[in-house]
Amino acid sequence: MLFFRSEDDLRAWCGERGVEAGPMVPVPQLWRLSRVWYGSRLDPEAPRPTPGEARAIFAGVGLTSPFWDPVPRQEQTP
Amino acid sequence: MTFERRVRTAILTAFAETGITPSPAGIAERLGSEMERVLEAWDRLREERAIVTGEDGVSIRMANPFSGIPTEHTFQSAGVRYYANCAWDALGIPAALGRAGTVRSRCAHSGEPLRLEVTEAGPERCDWLFHSLVPAARWWDDIVFT
Repeated sequence: MLFFRSEDDLRAWCGERGVEAGPMVPVPQLWRLSRVWYGSRLDPEAPRPTPGEARAIFAGVGLTSPFWDPVPRQEQTP
Repeated sequence: MTFERRVRTAILTAFAETGITPSPAGIAERLGSEMERVLEAWDRLREERAIVTGEDGVSIRMANPFSGIPTEHTFQSAGVRYYANCAWDALGIPAALGRAGTVRSRCAHSGEPLRLEVTEAGPERCDWLFHSLVPAARWWDDIVFT
């Protein structure tokens, strides 16, 4: 999980490695995710998110593509 | 609260207070508990992915968002430098601490340094991008690579 100063840098980095670029997340959106994901991390009573809760957290900050699904749909129990 | 939860909280609190990787002995002292009991909790926390340990099975490699070893992603606040596991955790640490400070990292392609001031309200304006090569469902296949 890395930072890139521009989309051009990200695409060049992926091209050099022959890998496909994943979703690009702007810093303000990453901050919103961090606030929800880690904001209560030091609270002794705060549980770690379940896969379903994690999915909802990602969706809540606009990360809705299958890339962000913590459990691939085909692997979920009916 | 379970003892295991107390150990996890003590680990994260130790990181938050000092920026230094806590040891089982330090956590045992912090909790006034026996080392053997702490080590048993250590194993369970590793199994639950609350911590990631090094090859010795004891030293903490990761206790998200904190890194137990130096990395290129840091957060500096109130005279303490914290190491983050990745770009996300570099923002995760100020989010967890609720404190202002400075995130430092770099562009993975150009090497250009990133210096980002963060307040309790969030980071200053920044046009940089965050990217994960690995989809969420595969993060724990190799969390260190992720």
